[in-house]
Amino acid sequence: MPQMPKRVKFRKTQRGRIRGNACRGNTVSFGEYGLQSLDRGWLSAEALEAGRVTVAQFMRGEGRLYIRVFPHKSVTSIPAETRMGKGKGEPEFWACVIKPGMILFEVGGMPETAAKDCLARVAYKMPFKCRFVKRQTT
Amino acid sequence: MADAITLKTEARSGKGGRDATRVRKAGRIPAIVYGHKVAPDAVTVSKDELLLALRQHARTLQLVVGGKNETVLIQSIQHNHLGSEVLHIDFRRVSADERVRTTVEIELRGHAPGTNSGGVLDQPLHKIHVECPALAIPTAIRVKIDALQIDQAIHVRELELPPGVKALEDPDLVVVQVKPAAILAEPTVAEGVAEPEVITKKKEKPAEEE
Repeated sequence: MPQMPKRVKFRKTQRGRIRGNACRGNTVSFGEYGLQSLDRGWLSAEALEAGRVTVAQFMRGEGRLYIRVFPHKSVTSIPAETRMGKGKGEPEFWACVIKPGMILFEVGGMPETAAKDCLARVAYKMPFKCRFVKRQTT
Repeated sequence: MADAITLKTEARSGKGGRDATRVRKAGRIPAIVYGHKVAPDAVTVSKDELLLALRQHARTLQLVVGGKNETVLIQSIQHNHLGSEVLHIDFRRVSADERVRTTVEIELRGHAPGTNSGGVLDQPLHKIHVECPALAIPTAIRVKIDALQIDQAIHVRELELPPGVKALEDPDLVVVQVKPAAILAEPTVAEGVAEPEVITKKKEKPAEEE
């Protein structure tokens, strides 16, 4: 089931703009290999869940997965063929705001070739370009 | 420990981000040298030479600053948002007899037999804070995991540190362990809950009774 916050201060958020690059959350911190976004956009909770399921099916319990992003933003929409006005639409889905450089998933406890293969499958499901990264030394 | 590598520096005349961009376009990397209660020097170093030194895991370098040789420690490295380019580097002046506090990578050696019998190798600690002589910073601390079975762990107190190196971490901290393989826990989302609780929700006023 897709993730969403347990408690929020407000049900609806403004759309906002995604400017700049990731200054935090842009290094592999928990695992050994990661999937880094090269683009900006919204990553829906469904897409995040699809990535998690892909890794779970690939690993079959033989490795560690770390999900580094969380869908904090609610995205609203109004039904089709609705007249203008009548206020903001209802929340449609929850999304993570992704900036270039953010690490989306990390894996550990598996060889590099397996991690590459695993995260390539996840990257295929992501709505933007991603790349495979290793933990930085020094 | 790698042998000390010598880098030539050039004094940096300008200041600010635009000047730093110009420096980077010219194939150099802006840097600063500070420490030992001497005024800091803004310098630039050759990108190729610096990257070569970093590839060799150099932790201390010999810098030629204004015609004078100085021993420096690589204190911090700034990367771009993708981690692919070095933007700036901080050098700290050190002397040969000085002890410094720094972090050292932990390198696992061997194959844990516990992973063959259904365990998952988990390494919570990838870097360790140590105190050691400035000129004898180990490249990495190697940990043999050849005897690690399921539910066994190696702690900081069990690490074999090179002579003169003292760990500053909690001795009971787990460095590496083999956990029993478990099916990945699905993130907890309450079933049947379509929306999160709104904490600022206004309470409905009770209907006025006449």
